[in-house]
Order: sequence, then C-alpha cells, then structure tokens
Amino acid sequence: MAEENTNSSTDENSKLIGLVAQFDDPDSLVQACDQARQAGYTKTDAFSPFPVHGIDPALGIKRTILPFIVLGIAVGAVFIGLGMQWYTNGGSLGEFSTDESPVFPGYRFKISGKPYFSLPANIPVTFEVIVLSSAFATFFGMWFLNKLPMLSNPLHRISRFKRATNDKFFLMIEQADEQFDRGSTEAQLNQWGAVSIDECRRDLTDNNLPSWLRLFALMGAILLLLPPVAIFRAMGMTSRAPRLHVVPDMDWQDKSKTQTLSPIMMNDRYLFADERVMRAPVDGSVARGQLDADTELYEGIKSDYVPTVSMTTPQGSVRTGLGTQDEAEAAPPVEDVSMYVTEFPKEITVDEALVQRGQIRFNIYCAACHGYAANGDGLVNQRAIALAGIGKAQWTSAKSLHDATVSNAEKNPLGRIFETISKGRGTMGPYGAQIPTADRWAIVAYVKALQETGIKPVLAVSEEDKSGESEASDANATATTPEDKTRPTP
Amino acid sequence: MHETRPAKITSPITTLNGGHLRTAPVALIVGAIGIGVAIMLSLGSEEGLKRFMFTYLTSFCFVLSISVGCLFFVTIMHLTRAGWSVTVRRVAELYAMCALGLGILFIPILATVISGSDMIYSWNQGGWTMHDLTTAEKAEFVNVANRPPLEQMKYQFLNQNFFTIRVIAYFLAWGGMAWFFLSNSLKQDKSGDKNLTSRMQAFSAPLMILFAVTVVFSSFDMEMSLSALWFSTMFPVYFFAGAFLSALCTILLTGLWLQKTGRVTDEITIDHYHDLGKLMQGFVIFWGYIAFSQFLLIWYANIPEETFWYNLRINQPGWMTLSILLLVGHLFIPFFLLMGRGLRRNRKMLAFSAIFILAMHWVDHYWLIMPQMNPEANLYTLTGMGIVIDLACMVGVIAVYIAMFCMIAGNRSLVPLKDPRLGEALNHEVH
Ligand code: HEC
Repeated sequence: MAEENTNSSTDENSKLIGLVAQFDDPDSLVQACDQARQAGYTKTDAFSPFPVHGIDPALGIKRTILPFIVLGIAVGAVFIGLGMQWYTNGGSLGEFSTDESPVFPGYRFKISGKPYFSLPANIPVTFEVIVLSSAFATFFGMWFLNKLPMLSNPLHRISRFKRATNDKFFLMIEQADEQFDRGSTEAQLNQWGAVSIDECRRDLTDNNLPSWLRLFALMGAILLLLPPVAIFRAMGMTSRAPRLHVVPDMDWQDKSKTQTLSPIMMNDRYLFADERVMRAPVDGSVARGQLDADTELYEGIKSDYVPTVSMTTPQGSVRTGLGTQDEAEAAPPVEDVSMYVTEFPKEITVDEALVQRGQIRFNIYCAACHGYAANGDGLVNQRAIALAGIGKAQWTSAKSLHDATVSNAEKNPLGRIFETISKGRGTMGPYGAQIPTADRWAIVAYVKALQETGIKPVLAVSEEDKSGESEASDANATATTPEDKTRPTP
Repeated sequence: MHETRPAKITSPITTLNGGHLRTAPVALIVGAIGIGVAIMLSLGSEEGLKRFMFTYLTSFCFVLSISVGCLFFVTIMHLTRAGWSVTVRRVAELYAMCALGLGILFIPILATVISGSDMIYSWNQGGWTMHDLTTAEKAEFVNVANRPPLEQMKYQFLNQNFFTIRVIAYFLAWGGMAWFFLSNSLKQDKSGDKNLTSRMQAFSAPLMILFAVTVVFSSFDMEMSLSALWFSTMFPVYFFAGAFLSALCTILLTGLWLQKTGRVTDEITIDHYHDLGKLMQGFVIFWGYIAFSQFLLIWYANIPEETFWYNLRINQPGWMTLSILLLVGHLFIPFFLLMGRGLRRNRKMLAFSAIFILAMHWVDHYWLIMPQMNPEANLYTLTGMGIVIDLACMVGVIAVYIAMFCMIAGNRSLVPLKDPRLGEALNHEVH
C-alpha cells in the first residue's frame, strides 16, 4: 500500500494517474465521496457494483447534458426526415421543379390523389426518423460522454479493483486534481475510512503496433475495396453470362405452365397425342351449372331458330383486332337478324332496379370507350382517335350507341346487342367472360334506356348528323350529363 | 446524506379532517347553480334543451374519463406490483369510486334514450335516418350498397334496450372494480394484512380485461355513437389516452392541494410528482400518437363513410380552429411544458401544466361531441351566449364531481396506512 517513491509521480515505465481507495460498504463510500468533495477535490470518481443512491450529489457530479444532445439531434431529425421525403417526392421549388424543368425531379408519383408532398403522409416516416436518431444519439452520446470505447484502462491493472463488479466499493482521486498530493491525499483517504489504497499507474512502455501488422492492415483495407468497386463497375453494364441460380429447385419447378407443351412422356412418346399441357374437357361433357342450353337467355338467340346455309361465319365470334374499316367494308357480313330475340328473356324482370344495375355495370365496363352517355366520347376512344390522328395507332372509333344502326330495333334487336356484349363485334372485344349473364341483360336494358333519351353525340361523328336521326335539341344535349341523367324505365 | 425512512406514516393529518363537511355543501350549491344557469340559458337558445344536453354530455364525459383513468391507474399499479405509487394510490382509488356516483349523473342522458327521444343520440328514433349526411350522400348510400342500409345493420347494436343494458353494466362494472380495490385497501389500513395485497394483485389481471372491454364499448356508446354512421376502431384508444392523461393530472393536482392544506404532508414527495410528470408527458405523446393515427388512416383511405367526421372538424372554419388548438394545446405545448427534469420537479410548473392539460382535455371532449349537435352549424354559431352555457355547465358538473369526491373520501385516510410497499414508496427516489 505505502510506496517509498512518494515524491516522483513518473518513473521510466509508468505514470501515476491517481489513488484508488477501497471501501467495504456503500455507506462508507458515499461518506468518503462527500468528504472528498468537501475537501475540495473535483477530479474524483466512484465505482460500485450497483447504483448507489445519493452518490451523485456526494461526488458533486453535475447532471448530464445527454438530454440536450438528444433533443438537438431529434429536432435536426425533423428537418432531415421531412427534407428527405420532400426531395424524393419531387417536392416543389416553384418554377424550378415543375414537370417540364425538373431541377429536383425526385419521384413524382401521384398516390391516391394526394399532393406530391403532403404533411400527414410524411409524419410517420419523420416520426420514425426522430425515434431512430434519438435512440442513436442517446446510445452513442453516452459512449462519447463516457469516452467509450476505451480499449485499455489503467484501473484494470489493479488486481483488487476487479471486485468493483462484485462486492467492493472504490473511490478514485486523480493525480490531475489541483488538490492532489501523493502523501496528504493518501493520509486523507485513510482518515475517511479506506480499507486499502492502491496506486493507479499508466504503463508508458511502447504501445505502437508492430510494423508488419500495419502493412497487413493496409493490404486488407485495399482488398476490402474490391467488392464495392466490382459492384460499381457492374452497374449499368450488360452481361451475357446466365444468371446465378441460388435455389435451383425453385427456379425450375416440376410443373407445367399454361399454354406449353406437355412434357409427360410414356414409352418415349408423349402421353397426350396433341402434346398440350392444358386438357380440353371431354367431348359432350358439361361442367356443373354451365349447361347454358337456354339460347335465349345465354346467347340472345331465339330458341326455335335453325341456322340457314347462307350464313357464312357466326357474327362477332372472332375478334378482328387490327382489321381496318376498309376490310370490314370490303366484306360486309351476311347477317340474319331474325335469329335474335326481340324481347327480354323471361328470366329477366325489367324494372327500375335492373336499369340501375345496368347503369352501374355500363359505367364500369363500357363507358371507358362509349362514354357515360353512350355517345362515343369515352376517354379511351378519345385518346385512341388522337393517337390514330398522328399515325401512332389504328383504331375503329367506338360507336355512338345512338347511331341509327345501333338504336334501330329492327336492325339491332335486343338479342344482337346482348351478343355484341358477350362475343364482341367488329373491333370491339368480347365481355362475356367478365360480365355475368344477368348483368349483361341489365346493360342491354340500360343501353335501350339511354337510346330512348336520344342524346346527341358530342364527338362530331359526321354520319350521325347526315342520318338526321338524332332528335334531341342542342340544349337538351348540353344539359344532359351522365350524373343527372333521368333513368327511364323501358 | 441519504437515509432510509421507516415505513411509517408521519403526517399529522392524513384525512380530509372534516374539510369535506365544509366543501361538499358548497360544491353542491355551486353545481346546482352552474347546471341551473346552463339549463335556463339553453332553454332560451335556438336549440333549446338539446343545447344543454350536449354541453352536459361534454362535461360528463370529461369527469367520467378522469374516474375511468384513475381506475386504470389503480389496476395497473396492482398489476405491475408497483411500489412507488402507494402513497398516491388512495387518491386514485377514491376518484375511481366516483365512477359509480357518475352513474347517477348519467341518468338524464339515459332518460332521453329511454323516452325514445333522439335529442342526443340520432340513432334513437323510429325510422332512424342517415341523420348527419347530405341528401346526395344519402342517395349514394342507398344506390351503391346492394344491401340493407348501414343504419339497419348498426341498429342491431345501437338500440334503446341494448344501450340501456350496456350502460348500466358499465357503471356496475366500474363501481364494482373500484369498490373491490378501495374496500380491500381500507381493510388493510386496519389489519395490515399482506394477503389483501396479493389478492388485489391476483384479481387485477382479469379486472384489467374487464376494464378494457367496458372502456372500449362505453366510448363507442357514449361519444362515438353521436355520429352513429362513422367507423373508427381507434376511437376507444383515443378516449383511453385522454382519460389516463387527465387522471394523472387530477391525481397530481389533488396531491398538491392536499399538501398545501396541510394534509399528508410527508408521504407524497417531490419524487412522486416527478414520476407523475413523466407519465403525463408520456401520455401527452401517446394521445398525440393515437389522435394522429386515427386521422392518418382515415385521411389516407379517403372513404366518404369515414372522412365526413373529419371533414366536419376540418373544413368548417370554427371547428378547424378548435382542431388546431387541440394539436398545439393538447400535444405541442404540454410536450414542452413537461420536458426536462427541472420542470418536472417544480411543483408550481407541474400544477400549471396539469391544469392546462385538463382544460385542453375538456376542449377535446367538446371537439368530439359538440360538432355532432348540429352538423350544419359551425363553432361560431355556438359561441357568444353558448360559451356561457358551456362554462356554466362545466363548472357545475365539476363542482358536483368534487362534492362526490369529498363525500366518498369522508373521514377515510388519504394514503394507505399499512401497505406492505409503503416503505418503498416513502423512500422512492428518481433521477
Ligand atoms: C375497348 C373499347 C370498348 C369497350 C370497353 C366497349 N366497346 Fe362497344 N364498341 C367498341 C368499338 C370500337 C365498336 C365499333 C366496332 C366496329 O364497328 O367494328 C363498338 C361497338 C359497339 C356496339 C355496336 C355494334 C354494332 O352493332 O355494330 C354496341 C351495341 C356496343 N359497342 C356496346 C358496348 C357495350 C354494351 C359495352 C360494355 C359492355 C361496350 N360496347 C364496351 C369499343 C368498345
């Protein structure tokens, strides 16, 4: 405990850092701390296996400034969080960041009709950024204030000190303290009830890294740079090498995909003569609930109709796709209109509810092309015509359903409209697969109801005007918007 | 120097010491005057009695949430076997007990329901119509939904009989819980029996479930069903957040007042106030978190069935002012008022913050309830004489509540005398 070399604090190999006194119970530690503070020592520290109440005031430790560090970082995080989102969402800098001159382009996505930058949507992310950075600020701020990480602490050279984590209590007075004097401080510590006193010395022997280790570290650091360099090089380059398959049995699964050849072989021959993966139903079989024998209801064709030989192809059953108007006109379809039903099938009750249902379905499925008032001004149609105008598309204009050819009950009986919806006609695609039968009849009812209103087409379709069928006055047409349309019952 | 205090009550006075005999009658008179003035003024107003019933419901929900919050405080302290809070727990127990008394104050509101009037709850009428929607929205509802109208479906839950049964069940459940905790704690004051504590701890877990269920459904019934067609599963949490926050403020204020008047001077220390302050700040943030979560989900989904509720409170200039006031006054200001150890260990600052938060909490209930009175009107049509009605009613209801507290407290001790964790609480120290 007592050293002879009292006056020199530094010798060749080590330097005195301070004196460490051991106490046996927390109360005497707190008392000693209190006396040390009263004796004017400021560079002191206490060590104990568990938090001791009242030790902070006894040592005269000021409150930590950590909360203020955290507050500062948190306030900064508000700006970082908001700014980051503002930037990535292509926030607005007035004329500097419009769609045309994107100084700050960002990712300008319209999401559920919200503005590019709208505060409520950005608060959760900002909140998370605050929480995360506050947590980091607390954790690393504590490290910083405690001068961590400290790879070696001279205190650990004192063997007695190890019990600071177990059952003993220590008070250290640093040599750097103005009041510190090797002899008198030790005497004071003894007087305050220290059980034993140790010197804490820092080892001054050479602690530089061996030079070969430096070289190794340098080489290692350079090697570590290779992967990122390789990744940067690969970015934006094309490659002919096949991709790596990490989980091959997930990439190549033992199953057949639709519309492919069947791989199933038997005795070196394909199991199925037609080699198709998808199997057609056995001839003559009908799936449950799909008999659909009632042609009036399911096809709009009279049940007593017998096809004549003069019929070439069933109308509308094939979608001509890109066929131009010229082709359509060159080979006018031979049609027997008498085959279609002219009344609604008996299963369908025509009432207001049906027409309303029809309106909803029409607005969903048909209005995109034919327009809400069915006068052919749907948005798809408008866009397609515009594109066709500059030669970027081929398009047969979606007809106005008020067109004489469509609204005339002789030329276009109910059954034929039903068939148009179910199987498509001309360039219009079939909707039978999407829309249930009853809904298709509801649409037919609504189309007829619309035609009754006699709305005049908004898009200038010249034949329409020539035909002179449209009886509605202009005033009538402008007053009729899809929303406040009256719904006549057929 | 740090010394361990013995687990003994040292304050000379630990009861109201006859104070209740003086306070209760005065409070009752003030309450009668306040409520009377509110009724008189309302009768003269455009909406008549309806005006009073709504402001009465506002103040009622305000005091109810305090009692409910205190009940939670007591239950959670037993559930977590907390030692620090023993010295403030009795106050919470007494406030929780008031919940039963509040059942009586709910009778006028229940009476409107039982008499078949739709004065408060629009669902309570013959062909319950879609009360607070515009004609266009109504038409849309009927057209689009190919099923029974929403009212029809919600009517299964919101109807006279079921509502009455539920409300009675809530007050019985709360009263029962509060009585369980209070009576056992009082028994322990005499016997010092540690088993009583074990028993309360064992029961606190199932009772917590009961508490959760009753709070969820009572907030649906009493406040949310004012706008019966609205949907929000976040609402009960919002109610709870405000309730516990205001309970903490009330416990803190009561403690300060008791000590100022020379009662329980030694038992409640600055460290208890400090901890209450911490909890207050935590629940200020929690309230903001929940309020915003409820708003964000509805704002994002943008479904008319949900947005109309906020639309009313945001696009009407008057209610908008109140919404902003809540955001700033219920979240930002208290957040900074309670920030930092210095502020949380200063009795004056704490008292100010608690009063401020309680005031904001009243505004919160006002904001929840009043716009529903007449969705067409905005705040400005309610101000003027309306303010006097609201304040008179608030003062009246709070006075009655104080009287109730005094009568329940009576000559009972305001601090548990022989709780096994008393020592821990007395030596409680926070940093
Ligand atoms: C993708 C756009 C598009 C959609 C969607 C669409 N149509 Fe068409 N429709 C057309 C086009 C294009 C024509 C003109 C076809 C032609 O003449 O080659 C047409 C023609 C018609 C005709 C007249 C057929 C005839 O007799 O010449 C009717 C009737 C019709 N559509 C009804 C409907 C109904 C009902 C729906 C909703 C189920 C619908 N359409 C959906 C594009 C569309």
